[in-house]
Amino acid sequence: MAKIPVSMVVNGAEVGPVEVDEYTSMLDFLQEYLNLTGTKLGCGIGVCRSCTIVVEGQDGALQPIRSCINNVGRFHGTKVTTIEGQAERNSDGALLKLSPVQQAFLRNYSFQCGWCTAGFVNGATALIDRLRREPVSANDVEQVIEEALGDHICRCTGYVRYFRAVREVIESTPGLLKEVE
Amino acid sequence: MSRLILVVLCILCVDIAAAQTPIDKGRYLATAADCVACHTAVNGRPMTGGRPFHTPFGKLYSTNITPDKKTGIGNYTLEDFTASMRRGMGIHGNLYPAMPYTSYYRISDADIAALYAYFMQLPAVEYVAPENDLIFPANLRFGLKAWNWVFFDRQPLQQEAGKSPDWQRGNYLVNALGHCGECHTPRNFAYALKREAPLAGNVLEGWDAVDIRPQALRRQGWDRASLRTLFRTGVSEQGAAFGEMFSVVKHSLRHLSDSDLDAMITYLLDDDETASGTVAQTTGDPQAAAEQHPQGRADYVAYCAACHGREGTGITLAFAPPMHRNAGVRGENPYNTIAVVLRGLPVQRMSRTNARAGMPSFAKELNNARIAGVVNFMRTAWGASGTAVTEDQIAKIREDLREHGFLGEHQ
Repeated sequence: MAKIPVSMVVNGAEVGPVEVDEYTSMLDFLQEYLNLTGTKLGCGIGVCRSCTIVVEGQDGALQPIRSCINNVGRFHGTKVTTIEGQAERNSDGALLKLSPVQQAFLRNYSFQCGWCTAGFVNGATALIDRLRREPVSANDVEQVIEEALGDHICRCTGYVRYFRAVREVIESTPGLLKEVE
Repeated sequence: MSRLILVVLCILCVDIAAAQTPIDKGRYLATAADCVACHTAVNGRPMTGGRPFHTPFGKLYSTNITPDKKTGIGNYTLEDFTASMRRGMGIHGNLYPAMPYTSYYRISDADIAALYAYFMQLPAVEYVAPENDLIFPANLRFGLKAWNWVFFDRQPLQQEAGKSPDWQRGNYLVNALGHCGECHTPRNFAYALKREAPLAGNVLEGWDAVDIRPQALRRQGWDRASLRTLFRTGVSEQGAAFGEMFSVVKHSLRHLSDSDLDAMITYLLDDDETASGTVAQTTGDPQAAAEQHPQGRADYVAYCAACHGREGTGITLAFAPPMHRNAGVRGENPYNTIAVVLRGLPVQRMSRTNARAGMPSFAKELNNARIAGVVNFMRTAWGASGTAVTEDQIAKIREDLREHGFLGEHQ
């Protein structure tokens, strides 16, 4: 089995270079090598999106990427955020503040069994980042959420609360909506 | 006892006769012709039109073909219907050749009559499609008379002597009812079919409607069994149908009778050529591919292998097709392999219980050099298709797709 050296920044911390089997999925790498178990395996074939993590592209834009169907080599040299990296922490790792998306999810009780929640939070985080650069009109919010998160599957069928939480963040964050002319 | 058998046989015969009413026959023929795919807008009611077609001359919308008297074909007589199907002559003027009358003129009188019977008993729906948005002079309908005069070459269906009845039925289904050539035949500057190169492949709407002549199909690894599987399910070990072809499988091909599907395959593969075995199968060399394209291999492992398999054999066919033996990778023209990497593919739902996952677009993530690397690695490993693709080729396809709006996620 061929080994490849990978190094990346995960939740703000340098990882590697470390030698791993080139066919290691990113999900396995996070769970087995970094002990970050918040990213969940759902279907394993890229359909349910519970394993979604966030990657910062070369242009600085955040992209939601499915970690089960992408091998670790894809993430070499990138900045990755998992659910563990969403909240603000101090240098000792103690929690300072949840992200706005996490707070909205808590407020709206947007989880039930919780398996898909990390994927929803990461997907929503990438959406909020996109709206900062490309604001939409208030009338389009529902459609934008549907496009960004409609493919995420929640077997407890908690979609209404997920979507409500994301809508709340979008509507309460300055700069995400176009001014009415 | 024998009288009882006779009675049962009579009842069966009556049932069979009843099943062959012109309306039932017309429904089947309309399925074979895939009328619903073009005459239904996204989330629209079937056959009411409104689906846009992106042509080099602008946007064109399909029309309402339900029997509504105001907005559909309710006032058409059989003669009017025949004129529109055979000559592109609607009662309000010439039809644009996006309506495939350049193939339908070969449909038999009996089949036209059955189609007419079927359409005229559909529920009438009042609906007017959006106005066409075409550039000058394509927006002048009377110009279509001249177009027809110059480009509408009404050669009769060439039923070659010595071919089997199965081949001849397939010829009729492929070249008349199924109008496969409308997508798969190259077009000239005026968007007319190049009759000298039937079914030789054509890029439209950002996909390559591939060369489906017998030699090309065989070179890509298609045989009777794999084509039958593709036409029934939309996916086979040789690859999956996507873009407009997925819609053709979903709405048309998978509903055809076994004998008609076999006839089409007989025509497409041209059984006589099989006997002579003129086309060698191509196989790749994964070892050489890894040595020649190390970055391409690394990207295949990182981006593609989790779905399409480490050795290119896929994980499970219901999820993602293999690259090994994949017709797209084997094809001479690398266009679709490149376009799929750039565009990704949407989720494809055949039915409520049968769907395949979508594929992400890698246009943002991979630059032209790395896409060339992945494509060259795959074509060398599993295609052995000869010429390598270049960075410039990728750049050109990327630019074409971007210019025509096909380069967002699943455009």
